Amino acid sequence: MSDTPVVELENLKVKLGRREILHGITCRLGVSGTGKAIGLLGPNGAGKSTLILTLLGFLRPSAGRARILGLDCAHSLGDARSRIGYMPENDSFIGDMTAVAFVRQMAELSGLPPEAALEKAHQVLFHVGLGEARYRELRTYSLGMKQMAKLAQAIVHGPELVVLDEPTNGLDPAARRRMLKLIAEMKNEQGMNVLVCSHLLRDIEQVCDEAVIMKDGAIVHHCNLEEERRSNRSFVELEVTGDDGHLRAALPEIGAEGVPEGLGRWRIVLPPGVEVDAIWGLVNRQNLLVRKLTHRRDTLEEIFLKAMGHIARTPGESGVEAGQR
Amino acid sequence: MSVYKRGYRRYTGPLTGRWARFLVLPRYAWRRLYQQRLVLLLTILAFVWPLLCAGFIYLTNHVELLQGLDKEFLQFIQVDGRFFAIFMYVQAGFAVLLAALAGPGLIAPDLANNALPLYFSRPLTRWTYALARLTVLMGMLSIVTWIPGLILFGLQVGLAGYTWFRLNWTLGAGMVVGFLIWLLLLSLVAMASSAYVKWRVVAAAVSLAFFFILSGIAAMIDEVLRVTWGHIIDPAWVVNQVWRALLGVTPVEGPGAGVSALALVAMILLLIFVIERKLRPVEIVS
Repeated sequence: MSDTPVVELENLKVKLGRREILHGITCRLGVSGTGKAIGLLGPNGAGKSTLILTLLGFLRPSAGRARILGLDCAHSLGDARSRIGYMPENDSFIGDMTAVAFVRQMAELSGLPPEAALEKAHQVLFHVGLGEARYRELRTYSLGMKQMAKLAQAIVHGPELVVLDEPTNGLDPAARRRMLKLIAEMKNEQGMNVLVCSHLLRDIEQVCDEAVIMKDGAIVHHCNLEEERRSNRSFVELEVTGDDGHLRAALPEIGAEGVPEGLGRWRIVLPPGVEVDAIWGLVNRQNLLVRKLTHRRDTLEEIFLKAMGHIARTPGESGVEAGQR
Repeated sequence: MSVYKRGYRRYTGPLTGRWARFLVLPRYAWRRLYQQRLVLLLTILAFVWPLLCAGFIYLTNHVELLQGLDKEFLQFIQVDGRFFAIFMYVQAGFAVLLAALAGPGLIAPDLANNALPLYFSRPLTRWTYALARLTVLMGMLSIVTWIPGLILFGLQVGLAGYTWFRLNWTLGAGMVVGFLIWLLLLSLVAMASSAYVKWRVVAAAVSLAFFFILSGIAAMIDEVLRVTWGHIIDPAWVVNQVWRALLGVTPVEGPGAGVSALALVAMILLLIFVIERKLRPVEIVS
């Protein structure tokens, strides 16, 4: 298997008007043909959508280079696009077409012969749960159904890479679960690479194997979620009263690491197999009074908040800083 | 086995070529266009005049049927440049109505429903998309313009013989070229108006107004400044002047065929610029 990255950026700069949105991004994301999902995270205005639009060739880089599945986005755009499926964030459809005609047309535009396109359109509409509604006009669809129709047109031609921009937008919990299940199936059963752009940490954490965090037009963190999951670390936010000067030195006794955040507040990382009870015992031995203790395993949120600079750095994370990979 | 029992599997079969992909948009668009009753009705109505013209050609080539008519009248009813010019005026009118009716339905819904990112994320460029839409309109309008015109020309050649063809082949060529120029202009106007006005009905009105307003402004310039060059901004007038030159008919007073052709080129370039500006998958607000 070749190790061609799904997305490769070299000092990529993108300007919209006079304003530079992406400031020289360099990174390699995923490996082509491995059926893995890459999450693109970041607050509004971080440059996620701009990056996606650049990869699709909708925006021209002002400097640098972007490659998708090993193909240059500027020079081999046609070839690249024939191997990509794209689900945009906003409503995108042809209102007076039935779902089956719409998906069939999109499949034919991607190069499927008419008969195969019709067959695949039916298959994919059943797959996303629109089988019974496939002869209805798209304008009569609910928001959730439109999202599924957008997903159907993105995967009908069996692309190697599916780019999903905010796929769970506007979905109720049941529809969201279904969407995430479909994304997981796409990579696990169909072997498609998936690039998911979202601001919902849970969605990314649930389906992605790799996560990239963007802020102000730059990649501020790039981590392997599989490794994060495997490490199964848990995080403790602790607030104590008393002299906690020796706590940092004592934490390794239970295999933990931590950093003080002032006024008795601590952020502690517990290694796999160490339960939170160990903290209680340690604090007791240090003659400290616990005022607050919260324990969670939401690793991505921790990573995200650190990348955004909202919390202090906690030791022990396995993420790699952008550009150091 | 039923489709729903088979489940979804990635497509791994052969892909179609570039031209087959290009023709997908026209194929779907034509199907949708002729599902509109008004378009179908107008297309059928547009064949009435060519049928009458065919009857006229038949009569002029069978003098025995016209015995007893005035000699002056017999000289008047000739299949010449004037005949084809009159044929073209009527069919051009139908073409305007059809373009206004069908044209905005091609691009406006794609823009209103934000469908362009879906098209352009596939191996389809903006220019290919625009060319495909242009093909739809030009193809639809060809059915009521130069195709019946060429059939009429063929009928005349068949009835009048090779000598007539040798002397008048420029009429057939001029008619086809003249119609193609008109269809290109009409299609671009319809596309540009639907690219700017996403509401189909308003886009249709705008594409009609384009001709009437420019014609009105041209007449106003001529009247106020007591000149004739104001006509160069009137698309119908300049096309008529070019047609007359192509068919060898006496030109009307005003700028010549060369200047009119230049004005047409300028209008076409301006419309292409407008379409180019609007047909983008994402709108960038500076």
